[in-house]
Amino acid sequence: VSLEYVLYPGCVASVREIGYELSVRNVFEKLGIRLRKSDDFNCCMPACLVHSVDYVRGLALTSRNLTVAEEMGLPMLTLCSSCFGNLSRAKYLLDENPELRRDVNKILGLAGRRYQGKAQVEHVLTVLHKDYKVEKLKEKVSNPLSGIAAAPFHGCHIFMPAKYSHFDDPEFPGKLDTLISATGAEVVDYSEKTSCCIGCGSFFGDVSEEASILMVDKILASAKEKGADCIVTTCPFCIMQLEIGQIKLRDEGKDYGLPVLHYVDLLGLSMGMDPKRLGFELRRVSAAPVLEKL
Amino acid sequence: MESSKRLLDKLLTDEKLSYCQNCGTCTSSCPMARVIPDTYNPRLLLQRAHLDLDNLTNGEELWLCSWCYRCTERCPQGIQPTEIFLLTRNFASEKGNIPPNPRRIIKSIVETGRSMPVDEFINELREDYGLPPVIGVSEKTMEEQRRIMGDEFMRRLEK
Repeated sequence: VSLEYVLYPGCVASVREIGYELSVRNVFEKLGIRLRKSDDFNCCMPACLVHSVDYVRGLALTSRNLTVAEEMGLPMLTLCSSCFGNLSRAKYLLDENPELRRDVNKILGLAGRRYQGKAQVEHVLTVLHKDYKVEKLKEKVSNPLSGIAAAPFHGCHIFMPAKYSHFDDPEFPGKLDTLISATGAEVVDYSEKTSCCIGCGSFFGDVSEEASILMVDKILASAKEKGADCIVTTCPFCIMQLEIGQIKLRDEGKDYGLPVLHYVDLLGLSMGMDPKRLGFELRRVSAAPVLEKL
Repeated sequence: MESSKRLLDKLLTDEKLSYCQNCGTCTSSCPMARVIPDTYNPRLLLQRAHLDLDNLTNGEELWLCSWCYRCTERCPQGIQPTEIFLLTRNFASEKGNIPPNPRRIIKSIVETGRSMPVDEFINELREDYGLPPVIGVSEKTMEEQRRIMGDEFMRRLEK
């Protein structure tokens, strides 16, 4: 199978989580998945911010990206679950609501654009699970990660709401678990597995920032209690939250020492790749406890 | 704005907010309500969106939704609180009631084309690891963005 996507890098991966972008690019290259570049995308215009000012104009700004992908005739590969959620939501709303689509297209017309309904929005995990497929991934695993206890952390937008994302069961998601098992690592079951990291709610002020730390504490404590060696996420925003929150908690005297990885990092390790090429040097919380176990 | 008003009406009436059973599934699913229960309660916010929109749009609770969609996924009556809160914020924005932090981030997004600023250091770091520079936002893209946004959008941010 020849897989090709247009890369939609997003701000978190390309500016704050460079190690993650590096990891995706190197792992995908090794898997033979081709990524094309576009200079025409704009910010995904997070609905929780931009659409809060004007729902329809905001939706049009987000949808502009869908028209860029349509022009290229390629599915989009988003690196961030929030970009994925935001773009999938726009696509769902426009595809299901003809009146809204007409309004949005009227606005897009001011910029010489029109959404046709052909855009396809994918995420690193959806590509690996649905397009590349787990059986084929298993063939690429040269160094099974037996002995590594990985706690899956699904995040939100990759599976919720199911009608936008079309990826996993919204109450009992299991595709990340399946992907982790494919690397030979042990999947840790813990109570906060499907929690929200409150990343998207963290920047509205002191109250929400404090709330996000309280949640990170619960997530880390629960994974640690069940014997996790690391947390494995689907989203760079979750990585940021769980690492920065962890450092703040450490400063307050609560040291979890729990490495936070993205699924591609784990996959890369199982394919025998050098941790340096997977951005491990750039992690805020040292991944040494995982590397030592290999 | 006509369009937003119409959409909100549709969500509030067609989607039967008036048939909310007050079961609290939204609040019990909400990560924000879990950690700051005295400050945030989506079930009560929905009631206020329905009964007293004007009062609701004067406060800041509306902005605490973390946009996770658990309430929307689980509501037994098919009500979509996450979308209702986004639309409700439009009315707060129209009045100029956007809290300082979100206002600053939204302004940065619409003025620079990105939510996180790119400096020299970031591109140097990327280069060290063999990554191409962050893809710039072209003048053509910014121009299209301005046309799509229109004047009213910026006016709300300046209020």
